[in-house]
Amino acid sequence: MSKSEQSKAKAPLLEVKGLETSFSIEGKDYNAVDGVSFTVDRGKVVGIVGESGCGKSVMSLSVMQLLPKGIGKIRNGEVLFDGEEIQSFNEKQMNQIRGKDMAMIFQEPMTSLNPVFTIGYQIEEVLHNHFKLSKKEARNKSVQLLSAVGIPRAAKIVDEYPHQLSGGMRQRVMIAMAIACQPKLLIADEPTTALDVTVQAQILELLKDIQTKNDMGIVLITHDLGVVAESCDEVIVMYAGKIVEKTDVESLFTKPKHPYTKLMMGSIPRLEEDTEKLETIKGIVPSLTKMPQVGCRFANRCPKAMPECTEITPQLEENEQGHEVACLLYETSHPKEGVLG
Amino acid sequence: MEVVHNKDTQTQSPTTKPSKSLSPWAMARRKFMRNKLAMISLVYLIILSILSFLAPFITTADVTLVNIGQMSLAPSAEHWFGTDTSGRDVFTRLLYGGRVSLFVGLSCTTIILFIGTLVGSIAGYFGGTVDNLLMRFTDFMLNFPFLVFVIVLNAILFGIVSGLWVLIGVLSILGWGGVARLVRSKILAEKENEYILAAISIGCKPSKVIMKHLLPNVLTTVIVQATILFAGMIVAESGLSYLGFGVPQEVPSWGNMLSASQQPNVLQNMPWVWVPPALILIMTILSINFIGEGIKEALNPKSFR
Repeated sequence: MSKSEQSKAKAPLLEVKGLETSFSIEGKDYNAVDGVSFTVDRGKVVGIVGESGCGKSVMSLSVMQLLPKGIGKIRNGEVLFDGEEIQSFNEKQMNQIRGKDMAMIFQEPMTSLNPVFTIGYQIEEVLHNHFKLSKKEARNKSVQLLSAVGIPRAAKIVDEYPHQLSGGMRQRVMIAMAIACQPKLLIADEPTTALDVTVQAQILELLKDIQTKNDMGIVLITHDLGVVAESCDEVIVMYAGKIVEKTDVESLFTKPKHPYTKLMMGSIPRLEEDTEKLETIKGIVPSLTKMPQVGCRFANRCPKAMPECTEITPQLEENEQGHEVACLLYETSHPKEGVLG
Repeated sequence: MEVVHNKDTQTQSPTTKPSKSLSPWAMARRKFMRNKLAMISLVYLIILSILSFLAPFITTADVTLVNIGQMSLAPSAEHWFGTDTSGRDVFTRLLYGGRVSLFVGLSCTTIILFIGTLVGSIAGYFGGTVDNLLMRFTDFMLNFPFLVFVIVLNAILFGIVSGLWVLIGVLSILGWGGVARLVRSKILAEKENEYILAAISIGCKPSKVIMKHLLPNVLTTVIVQATILFAGMIVAESGLSYLGFGVPQEVPSWGNMLSASQQPNVLQNMPWVWVPPALILIMTILSINFIGEGIKEALNPKSFR
C-alpha cells in the first residue's frame, strides 16, 4: 500500500483545518469564516448551528468550492476530502467530485430547481454527469430515487415540472438529486428551513435513513436547535465566523458552556413553561466590516462579559473530555502565554 | 374554456389517460393561441412567406425582364398591380421583393442573435476581466456610425461579394451589440438563482451550465427581442435600399421598389408602383410587432388569457 493510500484509509472523510474564507468589500478582504477547524467522519452527522450571518453557508460553499467568483476566496487553511487536499483542485477535478463524492442540498427548495426542466431531467442530469448510462437506465434510476425519497407516484412525478410540486416535494427532489450518485459526503444547508414542521420531521428522518444505509457523512447546517437534537452526532456552534463551542450532541444540551449557546437554548419556546415572552439575544451579529479583530466577538452582546473580553481573544480548547469551548469564563480558553491584545 | 388540472390527477380514475404535464413552453403556446391579434398576424406572415418563397411557381413573369413596350401601365387583368417605368410587372416584383426583404430580415436576425447571445452569455457568466473585455468590444461595435460604415463597406466589397450578402453582413456586424448587452444583463440576474449553484454543485461544466440551465431561462427575452430585431432589420434593409445603399438595384426588394417614388412623376401619377410595397411593408412590420407583443404576453407568467 502506498503512502497516500494509507493516509487515505485512515483520514477522516472531511477535514477542515484553519479555514479562512474572505470576501472582498470595496477592495478590502474581510474574513466571513475565520480559522474554522473540524472533521467529519464517515457515517456521522455533524451539525453546524448559529444565527444568520455566522458564516455557516459560506463555510459549506468553501468546502464545495462554490464561492462567488471574484468576490469570495479561501484565504488560508486546508480542506481535506478523503485525505486529498481539494482546494488545489482545478475546476475540472472539482466537477468530477461535485455531485458524485460530495453533494449539497440547498436552503431554498423553491428556487433550487430549474423551472424549465422536468424533475426527471434534472435527476438524470446528475447521473449523466458522472456515469455512462443509457437514457432508459438513467430514467429508471431517477424513478427509483424519487420513490426512495418517499415521493408517491414517482413514475408520474418524474415528468412533471418544479412548479407543479409543493415545497416539501421539491426538497425531496433536491435530496434525490444529491444522493443520486451515493456521495460520501452530503452537505445539507438548512434543508428544512423553508418547510413546515411536519414535513421537516419527515425530511430529517429520510436523511437519517439514507445516511445509515450508505454510511454517508453529513454536515447539517441549521439554526434550529430542535433539528440538531433530533439528528446530529456532533455539534459545532458558530458565531461571527468562528467556532465558539464544539462537542457531541448530548453534552451540548445537558451542559452547554458558552454563554451564546446557553442563550440560544434559552430562546427556544418550551411547551411545559408558560411564558409571555421568549428570551432573545439582544443585538445582532456584527457586520463583516465592523468585526472586532481582538477579543471575543460575542462580547458586546454577552450578559457575562468581563472587561478582558474585548482585549483577549479566547482560544477554542478542550474544556472537558471532547467538549471544546472558546470563552474566557473558562481557564482553558485563555491564551497560553497570556498575551494581552 | 378548457382547464387542465395537473395537481388533481390522483383523483382521476385509472382508466382516463393522465393529462401530460405542461411545460412552461406549452403553457405559453396556449396563451399565445388565444391572442387573436397575434394569431391573425402570424397567419398573415405565414401566407406572405409562402407567397414570397413560392413566387417562381405563382407568377410566370420574369422579374428582371425590362419590357419597353409595356412601360408604366395601370393595373389590369394582365398586370394586377400594373408595371413600373421599366415595364416590369409590379405584382411579380412584390413577391420576389418579399423574398429578399424577409430573407435579409431573417438571416440578419439569426446571425445577430447567435453572436449577441454567445458574447452576452460568456460575458455575463464569467464576469470579471472576460466581461470587461467583451463588453468594451461591444461598446466599440455599437459606436460605429451605421450609415457611413454601410456605404464604405459597400464600396470596398462591391463586386467581390454579392451585394445582398454585404448588406446582411453589415447589418449583422453592427446589430449584435444590443442583444449582447441584453443577454448579459439577463444572465447576470439569472445566474444568482440557486438552481444555477445547484447545477454547478452536481458537477456541470460551465459550458453545460450556460447552454442547458441559463440560456433556456433567458430565451424568453431573446425571443421577444428577436421579433423586434426582425422588424427592425426589414426596415433597415428597406431604408438603405430606398437610399440606394442597400441591395443592388437590379434585385427586387420592397425598399428598392419604394425608391421608384423618388421620381416626382411616379409619386404623383403612378401610385400602383409604390403604394403596394409600402402597404405590405407596413403590414409586415405591424404583424411582426403584434406577434412579438403576443409572445411577450404569453411568456409572462403574470398575464392570463
